[in-house]
Amino acid sequence: MAAVYRTHMSIIGDILATTRDEAPDESGASVTYLIRKANVSHVRLSKILEMLVQQGLLEQRSSDRACKYKISDRGREFLQAYRGFREFADNFGLRI
Amino acid sequence: MQFIFEIILNLIGFLVGVVIGILSYTGFKNTGSPTLFRLTIAFLSISIGFGVVGAGFLTESLVIKSGDIEPWIQTLGIGIQTVGYFFIAFSHSIKAFFPKSRYFRTIAVPLFVIPGNSIEHIIRSISFILLIYGTIETILSYMENKKSSTVFVASGLGLLALGEFLGWYSVVFPQSVLYYVSISTKIAGLGALFVPVSKMPLTGMKFGGSI
Repeated sequence: MAAVYRTHMSIIGDILATTRDEAPDESGASVTYLIRKANVSHVRLSKILEMLVQQGLLEQRSSDRACKYKISDRGREFLQAYRGFREFADNFGLRI
Repeated sequence: MQFIFEIILNLIGFLVGVVIGILSYTGFKNTGSPTLFRLTIAFLSISIGFGVVGAGFLTESLVIKSGDIEPWIQTLGIGIQTVGYFFIAFSHSIKAFFPKSRYFRTIAVPLFVIPGNSIEHIIRSISFILLIYGTIETILSYMENKKSSTVFVASGLGLLALGEFLGWYSVVFPQSVLYYVSISTKIAGLGALFVPVSKMPLTGMKFGGSI
């Protein structure tokens, strides 16, 4: 079976989708949880999370033990737009 | 009759290209995706190419009235369209051979690969090859995702390729019915390309800022 490469954009989409649909509790998803669900290395995930927080797509919440991440309203809008454009590119047999 | 056909074809080509190009650009602006950037260049080039040829025919029929369009205008328009077809094919080649490529390959590599020869039928043959490549890759994508809308895009590119081939053949056999069949086939191809795009629920997607 051929390897399926994920683009940078699709990894961001997966992270946002995880924080929206699969967060284990109301306070958000931990880094460990995101690493497992989004299947990204810790180093790469940390960089992406920092960028997503800066862009206002994720909200960072500090708890007693670790930081947790929750999708923001802006993040929800972005995820919806991303899925629309992914569909658009899919029509051309391409990946965004 | 030929001028009316040409003006209709080029108007449709211009509009379809502009709409898909604007959608691609909106997507690029919102997501920063290199794929959508390449699609923007591709469809805006196709649109400009059709626009140049259409404007040539329109100017000829309304102003100059010499009975035939200047050959260089048609060659220029077809050349610009070919750049667009190239970027569609190139997007597929990026996916197939350079899955981790980013902006450099989006912009720099095509500049070195685009052939410099601008003779019309050579350009048509290049368009044909690029369109066939795009069609095959889109069919392969359909075999993976099984989405019916992908079939429309593959059919559209395939019909455009057939139209280019018949257009080239009509150069060999001028004044034949092949020319009109070529234009009709291209119109059908552009229509097929537009079908999946027209179904996209892209209204309200005005998210700002790129990632």
